[in-house]
Amino acid sequence: MSWITLEKAKKLEERFDYVKVGENERFVSVEVPKEKLIDFLSFLKEDSDYLFKMFIDLTIIDHGVKEDPRFQGVVILYSPEYKERIIVKTWATEEKLPTLTNLWSAAKWAEREAWDMFGIEFEGHEHLVRMLLWENYPYHPLRKDFPIRGFEEVELPSLNESERGDQLEGMFNYSRMHTALPTMEDIEHTQKARMPEKKSQIVLNWGPLHPGTHGTIWFLFDLDGEYVQECDIIIGQLHRGVEKIAENIGYQQFIPYTDRMDYIASINENHAYVIAAEKMLNIEIPEKAKWIRTLLAEFSRINSHLLWLGTYALDLGALTMFLYTFREREKIMDILEGITGARFTINYFRIGGVYADLPHGALDAIEYFIKDLPSRMDDYERLLTRNRIWLKRNKDVCIITEEDVYDYGLTGAVARASGVPYDLRKIDKYDAYGEVEFDVPIGEKGDSYDRYLVRMEEIRQSVRIINQCIDKLRKMSKNDPYFFQTPDEKKLKVTIDGRGLKLPEGEVYAGTDNPRGELGFYIFNKKAATKPYRCRIRSGAFYNLQIFTKAIIGRPIADAITLLSTIDPVVGETDR
Amino acid sequence: MSVKKVGAKPQTLIEKIFFIDFMKGLSTTIKHLFKRTITVDFPYEVVTPSIRFRGVHGLRNVDGTEADDFEAWVKKLKIKPPEMGETRCIACKFCQAACPVPELFTIKAEKLDVPEDHPHHKLKVLAVFDMDLSKCMFCGLCTQACPTDCIIHTDVYDLSSYTRRSWVMDKDMLSQIADDFIARRGKEKFDEKSKWRQDQKLWPEYDETRPKLWDFHPPKLGPNYIDELQNTFNQVDQQVKNQSSDNA
Ligand code: SF4
Ligand code: SF4
Repeated sequence: MSWITLEKAKKLEERFDYVKVGENERFVSVEVPKEKLIDFLSFLKEDSDYLFKMFIDLTIIDHGVKEDPRFQGVVILYSPEYKERIIVKTWATEEKLPTLTNLWSAAKWAEREAWDMFGIEFEGHEHLVRMLLWENYPYHPLRKDFPIRGFEEVELPSLNESERGDQLEGMFNYSRMHTALPTMEDIEHTQKARMPEKKSQIVLNWGPLHPGTHGTIWFLFDLDGEYVQECDIIIGQLHRGVEKIAENIGYQQFIPYTDRMDYIASINENHAYVIAAEKMLNIEIPEKAKWIRTLLAEFSRINSHLLWLGTYALDLGALTMFLYTFREREKIMDILEGITGARFTINYFRIGGVYADLPHGALDAIEYFIKDLPSRMDDYERLLTRNRIWLKRNKDVCIITEEDVYDYGLTGAVARASGVPYDLRKIDKYDAYGEVEFDVPIGEKGDSYDRYLVRMEEIRQSVRIINQCIDKLRKMSKNDPYFFQTPDEKKLKVTIDGRGLKLPEGEVYAGTDNPRGELGFYIFNKKAATKPYRCRIRSGAFYNLQIFTKAIIGRPIADAITLLSTIDPVVGETDR
Repeated sequence: MSVKKVGAKPQTLIEKIFFIDFMKGLSTTIKHLFKRTITVDFPYEVVTPSIRFRGVHGLRNVDGTEADDFEAWVKKLKIKPPEMGETRCIACKFCQAACPVPELFTIKAEKLDVPEDHPHHKLKVLAVFDMDLSKCMFCGLCTQACPTDCIIHTDVYDLSSYTRRSWVMDKDMLSQIADDFIARRGKEKFDEKSKWRQDQKLWPEYDETRPKLWDFHPPKLGPNYIDELQNTFNQVDQQVKNQSSDNA
């Protein structure tokens, strides 16, 4: 599909004698020695036959304490010219790797995260501090010798009820001991480490508990008057170790956890995970399930964009908008509740399809809502699009260029607003996206106003897709299966509740285009197992948020709100 | 790949001078000023959750609607055959195995203390079934794993309490919740064999609050798929035919 072909990779092998091409039926990866990594990657980036300009992801696999070398670096790149991806691997001997930050700025955060989680040192990284945890934290939690429960070493009795003193038996209470927690000094230390030198007079803290940050993000602005000279972001307040959980739990069992990453568009999060797992299993799910999933994924995109629009306008002072979009959201969630059983944390998709058929009346309700939506959208646009305050606060604000998109690995509406038509729905054509017609909206300039227009257009395109899905589903039969039926129970068992589901040995990277950018799952299995050995979550919101630190430089502080709203990260996903 | 360009258009002079943008915006807000309130006044008004709603769990009792393989499961796990009104749970722990947070369950079965010649000798009964709902994600995987359709989700969502202790439900409480739910809405959700009904509705149509959030014009719910539609057509046809033959 969207991966580099084997022939093309073989050519690399011919050209460089140190390159080893690894093959599996899902994608082609190449392995290079650590010393040659930077040379090789710059070649891939610049050579006109390859042009892997866009950074997708960087992660580490821990092969276990006994292995030597123990850690392996994995870099995923995308070539916008040839519309293909490649995976480059290298062994991190002595727990060190050369930094990629000179090639792609996106690697700054990715490497910091890898340092934080695995303790891999990136030689030459300008500022290798922790990403999600605090500075004095003693462990690297994604290493295989770190237990899932952590090391419980801090006494924290206050969590418990005092009713029975310390007799906790039968009380379902928490233990008195807790894993390490940051103290005030740790937090101060972290803050200092993130911004070691003040350039100008004052450092303004914004967040972590500010309504304008849409979650718990902590911004540090180095301000000269009203203008931002330097900016850094401290995230991790919502870090729950979702990747670690994924590696310790069954495949279907992990889906509810993905709900809790990007909780605004939980359907899309579920979607990315099941797509990756299905690709690994190499199964084709029933037609009906595909269309239901496409339908609901777009429905959820509308839901998410409506929340974005409401809160964005609210942040810029247009309160009315918030009330209007939440009225529409209520209807969407009402329908979702009827179909899936939950309004927010949906958990409806399964590896192999969906867990139940659509209930009586579902398509009617969706159709009814979708018919109504364009006129509502016109209402919103009448309020905002031409409004002079809106224009002043958005036009030419915080421009993100096409180069930035590749450099920072931006995806989703942020990338498209900068004129890059990067859309996994078109590239990968997962589920029924290959069969529906829709346009990819792209902006001209990459300012906040373009990001606004692109998302508005995306809602309209989603309406288009949903209409096609409804037409298609109407023609199907009630008796068509909505869940994968295994041809041979002994060889391949796929169950709705997830008991007995095993994924084969191998690796996969697959993802979906979510409202907040590309959410990709990289799953690596050493042998067939009921739990993934390594599950990396490539979060679109995480990479998109990183551009904030660049785009805000030189802008007045009021633009921070506009920029953050148009980037639209969700902390559940950035922190995982 | 089809691409659609969006871009900003500058404000025209006329728009600027006559404040057309504000006028248009105001016309929208004024239009809304005359609409009826759609907010539901909770808790004085409540919306009845949809039938698939994943609320507080319940443990169903034996009521004659068990699936056909129920007895086989009971036998397999050496459980004392339950009488009417006793729990369906066979302590198989499948729910726990499917749960993403297995430690929230405490399930124990006990051997019956009966003499050797008693028919229930060597058989077990469910002794403990505790669920700590403060750890539950309401994901529904446990209900999908249960072989006897014992553990179910009900439409109860009000779990607030002053102590964490009251989120721990034991088997009597869970049975009580299930009985109550089945009496109220069991027929909407389950068929005679305790499986999900094929014709579950998106929402309960008897709910009088829900239309409010739909601007008092809720959508009319009909069948989804073409064959269902044809079935309903055929039924209507049949009725019409019957009527005309009656008339004749
Ligand atoms: S709903 Fe999910 S989390 Fe809760 S008990 Fe059932 S399986 Fe476990
Ligand atoms: S799966 Fe059902 S029968 Fe088995 S222990 Fe759980 S509730 Fe009881």
